[in-house]
Amino acid sequence: MDLLSFLNFYLVPGIVLGSIYALGAIGITLVFGVLRFAHLAHGDMATMGAFLVLALVAGTGMNPWLALPFAMIATAGIAVGLHWLFYEHLRRRSAILTVIASLGVALMLRAIVQVVWGVDSLTYVGGIVRPESYFGIRIKDREFWTLAATVVLVVALMLFLGYTRWGKAMRAMSDNPDLAQLSGIDTRLTTILTWTIIGLLGAAAGFFLGINTELKSLMGWYMLLPMFAAAILGGVGRVEGAVLGGMIIGIAEECSVIFLPSEYKSALAFAVLLIMLALRPTGLLRGKVL
Amino acid sequence: MTADPILSVAGAVGGYGGADILHGIDLTVGRREIVGVIGPNGAGKSTVLKAIFGLIRLRQGSIRFEDQDIAGWPPNRIVRCGIGYVPQVDNVFREMTVQENLEMGAFLRREGLEAALERVYVLFPDLVEKRRKPAGSLSGGQRQMVAFGRALMLDPQLLLLDEPTAGLSPRYCEQIFQIIRDVRAAGVAVLLVEQHAKQALAFSDRAYVLASGRNRAEGSGADLLADREIAQMFLGG
Repeated sequence: MDLLSFLNFYLVPGIVLGSIYALGAIGITLVFGVLRFAHLAHGDMATMGAFLVLALVAGTGMNPWLALPFAMIATAGIAVGLHWLFYEHLRRRSAILTVIASLGVALMLRAIVQVVWGVDSLTYVGGIVRPESYFGIRIKDREFWTLAATVVLVVALMLFLGYTRWGKAMRAMSDNPDLAQLSGIDTRLTTILTWTIIGLLGAAAGFFLGINTELKSLMGWYMLLPMFAAAILGGVGRVEGAVLGGMIIGIAEECSVIFLPSEYKSALAFAVLLIMLALRPTGLLRGKVL
Repeated sequence: MTADPILSVAGAVGGYGGADILHGIDLTVGRREIVGVIGPNGAGKSTVLKAIFGLIRLRQGSIRFEDQDIAGWPPNRIVRCGIGYVPQVDNVFREMTVQENLEMGAFLRREGLEAALERVYVLFPDLVEKRRKPAGSLSGGQRQMVAFGRALMLDPQLLLLDEPTAGLSPRYCEQIFQIIRDVRAAGVAVLLVEQHAKQALAFSDRAYVLASGRNRAEGSGADLLADREIAQMFLGG
């Protein structure tokens, strides 16, 4: 296999898949870091975001990329609503109760998607898209925009967390929740803000997966394991770690096809997760120990 | 007792869950006064501070700060009214820089952030060159300075310190006591719980001795140090 085939058939799709995992893993790492539980409904929340874009495209005929910001906002609203309806009531209880509640939420969200849109595979736009060639590297428009949008979203989030008052409050709550409260930080508002960001990024991850492959009611659920693996690989609670972890898992999954039958592709994330937890539970960038 | 106390706790009864640890504690802190609280383990020293700061609900008794009854207020409301609290452990945001730690102390402050930072850096000049370093990478003494600085960012009138010298070497202990004097000189009253009873009495204006959740003795630091019974019972002879 020459270098160009490797780039075109494995690396480019790997990076695209990696950026989708990265966006999802950021959400998972934020829930872990700030709210301290494993959010099993994250994948189905992403699915919901992806189908909301479809609803807007089907209802208004608008371009899916233009519909995305509206779906992101709607999904953020859903995330905050789920927090109010379910997770907030369990805040003072053991974290495992919230984790199990999130599994219930995952099933509910999936059921809504299946009732409204059915269980068949759907696409945003019909027809075949031919990739453009740049110096021999073939990349489709949608792949390019997925990468560009991921970069914009990640940079915006890093700037928000690093330089704004509320972004720092989120980091403070992730670092030491008791001290955050003693310092006068409004932990209730910070929690709502965290859910808003989780919803925004989750919808984007779902949409990017949907536009690069197809829309299925189980797409988010299948994405859950690689997203968790990415978050743990990078270091729980670390946004830059989630991006790094997402990229590694995405590229490794695509490249694994060179050596392994493609049915084992998704087992790779599981293997990475197990090895990482056994050898270095803090992840590559020294996150929290679960 | 103090003539015009900034803080007065009267008949405080409460604890964690169903079990009471405080069985009717009374104490007052005057303006610009350093008041120590000493006593054996389990006397309820730290619990009093937590009760004042709203981290524990009292079943009975009152806590007045200035002219308000603050018993039952949540911590973020108590911070707003002018009380700062430095917990004994986990008192910095380890992953955040020194400057970010201080900024978080001023979260409720809409303006005057620069001036507040400047005041803290004047009080703790060692922190200036470390301001871009993560607080978790500092030494124990420097971390304690960050914790004090964070609590001072809202210009509190009263600072509650829970065993500020716990786990520090004697050199750092002296430095921390000097910092507490500097804080008082800046116009802040201090209520501190201390394990190092002799040192605490030597430098407090007044002190309370607690045992089993009750007041046992009260007086100037020097008087309590000179009291033979107190010395035998609580200061190791």
